[in-house]
Amino acid sequence: MPSKLFILLKSPHEFTGMDMMKNIAAGERSGAILFEDAAYFAVDKRQANELLSVVKEAYVMADDLASRGFEGKAVPGFKAITYPEAVELIMEQYDQTVTL
Amino acid sequence: MKTMVIQIRTGSMMNMDTNVAVKLARAASQKGYDVRIFAYGEGVTLIKEGQDPKRFPNVGAESKALVEAGNVEISACVTCCAARGLRRGEEIPGMKIGSLTNDLSRYVAEGDRMITIAR
Repeated sequence: MPSKLFILLKSPHEFTGMDMMKNIAAGERSGAILFEDAAYFAVDKRQANELLSVVKEAYVMADDLASRGFEGKAVPGFKAITYPEAVELIMEQYDQTVTL
Repeated sequence: MKTMVIQIRTGSMMNMDTNVAVKLARAASQKGYDVRIFAYGEGVTLIKEGQDPKRFPNVGAESKALVEAGNVEISACVTCCAARGLRRGEEIPGMKIGSLTNDLSRYVAEGDRMITIAR
């Protein structure tokens, strides 16, 4: 099964795709990149733990953290990345992207 | 070199989705990848010439610069453009009013990875 990289854009309070993500990820190598308000997943412990129980690797866009006043405050398990690093993940590290 | 295909369908001024798509396209283009962006729904606002968002980021101008760099192609769905009164000749030079049938299908066939930036 191809490895999957989830693209999340919505805030945890607006996001309703966790169960779908569990089903799609289902034991395969999986990761998530948090863009825009999805960056709040990376600074709320409970939401962060729920997401980390679904995907093996989690990334958050550094500029989305900074623009929301959370620079350097991602909880352990979330790596803050730049756009070139996001391109590397999309084009080279994972087989498919899934936007939810 | 590999090709990244980005699909957008959010209005340029609705939220940051189009900005994210343009920043991804820029990063990929600068890393040497070819990039294809296809816009439909409200996403077609990206290609409208004459955008003047004042103090907000001007994604039209930013993406025009990407097209001029050479390895980025941007097209938008003709049906969605017509539905919004966006006529041929009103698109940013270098961008194309195209179609799902001719352009998106070609992008998907040629692309190595496809990413949707929409909610």
